[in-house]
Amino acid sequence: MSSHEELEDLLARAGLGDRDAFIGLYDATSAKLLAVCLRVLKNRSSAEDAMQDAYVKIWNNADRYAVTGHSPMTWLITIARNTAIDRLRARRRTEPLDTHSERIAADTATPEQSAIAGSEARRVMACLDELEEDRGAAIRGAYLDGKTYKDLAEQFDVPLNTMRTWLRRGLIALRECMSR
Amino acid sequence: MTDMPDEKDNDLLAAEYALGLISDDQIEAARAMLRDDPAFARQVTAWEMRLADLGETLEPVQPSPAVKRELIARILPGTQHAGIWQRLALWRGAAVLAVLALVAVLIFPVSLPDPVPTDDGPLYSAEIVSAEGDFRVVAVVDTDRDEVLMTLTEGAAPEGRILQVWAHGPGEPAESVGLWPDGNSVRLPMPENIRRVSGVLTLGVSEEPPGGSPTGSPSGRVFGTVDIPGVRVDG
Repeated sequence: MSSHEELEDLLARAGLGDRDAFIGLYDATSAKLLAVCLRVLKNRSSAEDAMQDAYVKIWNNADRYAVTGHSPMTWLITIARNTAIDRLRARRRTEPLDTHSERIAADTATPEQSAIAGSEARRVMACLDELEEDRGAAIRGAYLDGKTYKDLAEQFDVPLNTMRTWLRRGLIALRECMSR
Repeated sequence: MTDMPDEKDNDLLAAEYALGLISDDQIEAARAMLRDDPAFARQVTAWEMRLADLGETLEPVQPSPAVKRELIARILPGTQHAGIWQRLALWRGAAVLAVLALVAVLIFPVSLPDPVPTDDGPLYSAEIVSAEGDFRVVAVVDTDRDEVLMTLTEGAAPEGRILQVWAHGPGEPAESVGLWPDGNSVRLPMPENIRRVSGVLTLGVSEEPPGGSPTGSPSGRVFGTVDIPGVRVDG
C-alpha cells in the first residue's frame, strides 16, 4: 500500500486532470475499494461495476477532495462504500448517498486535529470490540454491509425503535472510546 | 437526549448520515445542513474517517483487468463530447471476445451528434491488442485537433526500451507518429501525411530503443496494429 503522502500527491494531480496520476491511484487502491464494494454487494460482477462507478466519481470530484478534510484512503473508501450501497438499495431508495460533490468545505482542521483524527481512526476496531457485542455488530453491519435500521431490527429481532436506541448508544460509546 | 447540546445532537445525526441510516424523508434536511454548515460537514467527515478504517481491515481483492480498461475509456479526454464515451462502453464484454479472436479489431467510428458544433471533426476510437493479449492500448484519433491519443491498459515496453507509435494509409509504408518514452498515455500530433489519409487508417505500436527506431520503420516487436475504416479528411 502506498503511503499517505503518495496518495495525497496522486489525488492532487488527478484533481488537476492528470490521468496518469489517476491510473496510479487506481493501481494503488483498487484492490482495497473492490474489497469494500464486494463486502456490501456480495457479488463480484456488481462489486466491480460499483467500484468502476466509484472511480469515475473519484475522477470527477478529485479536485474537491481537499475541502472535505479527509485523509486520501478514507475519502476513497467512503465514496466506494456509498456507491456500493446505492447499488444495493437501488430498488428501495431513490436518494443517492453523498459523493461529496455538493458538500461545503469542512471547518478547517489544524494539522494537529488531522493527526488526532488519524490516530482516532486506527482505534475503531479496538473500540468496537469494547462495545456490547450486539451494538458493535450493528455498527459493523450498518457500515460494512449497508444495513438499514429496519434490516438490523430484523437481524437482531428487536423493534425498530429499540434498534435505533441501541445503535445511537453504541455510536456515543464509540465516539467516547475513540477520543480517549 | 433533549438536554444534550446541539453539537452533540448534530454529531449523532452526522454519524447516522455517514452510516447511511437517515431515512429518505429526512435526508434532504441533512443534506442541506451539509451544504451550509461547515461544522456539520466536519462532523460527518470525522465519522467517515472513523468508520472507513473498518473498510481498511478488509482483505484486498484484485479487480479483473477489464475493469481498468473500461474505466480508462470512461475518463479519456473528450468527455466534453457527452454521449460518445457512453457508446464506447459498448465494448464492455465485447473486449473479451476480441481477445479470443486474436486479431482484435474493435472500432467505433463515432460521428458527433447533431447539436455539437459542426467544425468538430469526428473522433475515432480503437483498441490495439497484441496477439498474445499481453499488451493493450486504447487509441483515439481526433480529426478535429489532428491528434492521436493513446492510453496503455496492459503491458509496457521492455526494460530499457520505449514505445513508438506508427500510422499509415492504405498501401503505404508505416510512418512514425511519435515516441512514447514513458507514462500511461500520450498525445501526439498527427504528421502531415497521416492527416491526409482518407479511408482506412492503420495505427500500430512497437517497442524500440530509447530515441526511437534507427531505421525509420518499426525495428523492434510490433505489439499490434488496428485498422480504422472510414476516416474522413476535414474540409
